[in-house]
Amino acid sequence: MEIALSICRFDPEKDSGPFFQEYKVTVKSTQTVLDALMLAWQQDPSLSFRRSCRSAICGSCAMRINSRPALACQTLIAKATEDGETIVLEPLPHFRQLKDLVVDFDPFFESLKSAVPWIVLRNDYDGCMAPDIARELEDPATCILCGICRAECDDAGDIKPAGLIKTLRFARDPRDALGEHRLRLLEVPLEILRLFIRNLPEMCPKGITMREDVAGDVPDRDKGTKPA
Amino acid sequence: MIVHEVLVVGGGLAGLMAALSISDKTDAAVLSKIYPTRSHSGAAQGGFNAVLGRNDSIEAHVFDTVKGSDYLGDQDAIEVLCSDGPEIILELEKMGVPWTRSADGGLAQRSLGGAGFPRACFAADFSGHVVLHTLYEQVLRRGVKIYPERHLLELLVEDERVAGALVYDLASARIDVIRAKQVILATGGYGRAFLKTTNAHANTGDGMAIAYRAGAVLSDMEFVQFHPTTLYGTNILVSEAARGEGGYLVNTEGERFMARYAPGKMELAPRDVVSRAIFKEIKDGRGFNGHYIHLDLTHLGEALVADRLPQVRDLAIRYAGVDPARMPMPIEPAQHYSMGGVRTDILGETTVSGLLAAGEVANVSVHGANRLGGNSLLETVVFGRRAGKRAEDLAKNQPWPHLSAGTVTRALERWEVALSPRSGARGTGDSTFDIRRELTSLMTDQVGVFRIGSELEDAVARIRELQVRYRRLPPSYGVQPFNYALIDYLEVGYLLELSELIAAGALARTESRGAHYRLDYPQRDDEMWLHHTFARLRDGCPEFSSGQVKITRYEPRERGY
Repeated sequence: MEIALSICRFDPEKDSGPFFQEYKVTVKSTQTVLDALMLAWQQDPSLSFRRSCRSAICGSCAMRINSRPALACQTLIAKATEDGETIVLEPLPHFRQLKDLVVDFDPFFESLKSAVPWIVLRNDYDGCMAPDIARELEDPATCILCGICRAECDDAGDIKPAGLIKTLRFARDPRDALGEHRLRLLEVPLEILRLFIRNLPEMCPKGITMREDVAGDVPDRDKGTKPA
Repeated sequence: MIVHEVLVVGGGLAGLMAALSISDKTDAAVLSKIYPTRSHSGAAQGGFNAVLGRNDSIEAHVFDTVKGSDYLGDQDAIEVLCSDGPEIILELEKMGVPWTRSADGGLAQRSLGGAGFPRACFAADFSGHVVLHTLYEQVLRRGVKIYPERHLLELLVEDERVAGALVYDLASARIDVIRAKQVILATGGYGRAFLKTTNAHANTGDGMAIAYRAGAVLSDMEFVQFHPTTLYGTNILVSEAARGEGGYLVNTEGERFMARYAPGKMELAPRDVVSRAIFKEIKDGRGFNGHYIHLDLTHLGEALVADRLPQVRDLAIRYAGVDPARMPMPIEPAQHYSMGGVRTDILGETTVSGLLAAGEVANVSVHGANRLGGNSLLETVVFGRRAGKRAEDLAKNQPWPHLSAGTVTRALERWEVALSPRSGARGTGDSTFDIRRELTSLMTDQVGVFRIGSELEDAVARIRELQVRYRRLPPSYGVQPFNYALIDYLEVGYLLELSELIAAGALARTESRGAHYRLDYPQRDDEMWLHHTFARLRDGCPEFSSGQVKITRYEPRERGY
């Protein structure tokens, strides 16, 4: 099928502001927006966008697709053309546009650091962990740092989503010495935290799901089992 | 000018592990063409082999690996790989890797191909991803300097030793000079030389080609791994874990055909054996629609598929429109991994002074003619760590290598010309896109699972023609921020250079061993070919020679599964 991509172009060295440019490409409905972009790029090699894995695990190709932040490689053409044959592609909102669909990711990666984004190993950790506890760490560990949850939050300045998911994941890790103290270090009101967790599966391309009851419900580490 | 005692090029598992194994006393930095967490290590699904089980043994892991390599692996390196495995897995555990656990709270292990024991530690089917992110966390903890979106252009060599690197900054479109005492390459493979590949767009063999240009020996480039199970059409990886958890390979007659090829190991035979079997079935008319076979997980039950293979399930639903818990997946083999690479010793040193390598870019050689599933992730951390430690040891005891202003200026001037759009060359109608398309089709069609002399000869000739066309092309749009066309131009150059070595090596090797299968020479020939293929650049052309295989304990035997 022939579809149109309407792509937000901007080259700060030449353009006074962003503008949209249209490309026509022929793709199958089972292909992805990234496949379509690769074809547009071959028509116009000056087009800039990040990509790598094309299987939703590297997080490079996050962008705004028909007004919603999403991974280009994870969005099928069939879905993106549900409301018409033109797919509108823009840079991720709340990130600074550097060129075309490329945005500045340095502040996002920098924001991780405020969260102590590494494990602080307990002295008495004996190397064992119950399978169901380990299972619970898995989901937040699938975070690919794509920036989409940051792009979805209008007031995310304070909560720094990248570090937040790491915090919640480590807070539940029985190996971690900081444990639930991590939540206090975040200085994010619990209500906001719960709201973020509630909205996460909907916006996250990995569908990360976590229990909402974050505080006071960290696994009982001495027994290595979940609290009742 | 930027200065670091050790420069690690590549931010995947091997690169980050190398950086982490360098102490705070030595100044090290990581350079990566993408953000480190975007590295293709993150796409690895199945697991890390390491002997942890009471009934398993290091000897068994060594033997499985030697046999899997079709006796081309260097056994001293394989012993290092297997012996260092258990300790390093537990080290990763203490760094916070969320491994999947067994009922007793220890690390769960699963079976992967060619192994005599369930030996792969894993985190569902996100094994590479969770370890990549854990190492990234540790790199943040240590405050290691990271340069993302920087492309290595050239290794600066003075007095036959590496003294630094030229680096292109994608964002500023600037060429930087980085002085270093030691450079570690951890840049991964060249999967994108093939049309059908599981590899990411970024996997274009940059480090391998740049090392080759700097005079390093590349080894065993003709040995290319084709993964048996990739989604038909997109070639997105379906982990060997899908068979490790009990999946069946089935043809149009509903037959588990592996019984005819590897009755002992069935679906868990090594990848070279399974990929050949699948293509044979398709060729003999037992493929679906003539193109693919089925990987069937439906008998495993939805709970197991959801628990152990959640990513495989998501990928299959999205990219093949099939829920593997309910329907068999359409699959075909595709390029997956490079056994060959920059030749190193067991400390990670290459044949060029000041240059080390680890991971897929390197050939140490633990995989020989065929890699076993679960051994590449292990290799990245074991040899990444060794390369980091070795680089620090070397850097500690050495003065800054001489790097003359003349060498730097000449290199900068050369790149300035090379990267400028040249007038007059446009309008020929040729493009890097065309060259890439022709090259990758050629590699998949003629340098794939089944090879034959006449086609390889033709492939070598056509690759050389493509090289000539490439040299006439100007880069697109020159030096500008985020000019991906310029990166494409560089990458196509690397792929052309490496493809010639792959095809020429395959043409020269008149035997079948591991992943290299010659229809016109279907037998392994230890008398003539039990040796490594070395390639180095001499006067602008590849020069081939042979290198001895290190055999410590296991004499070559017939390899059956």
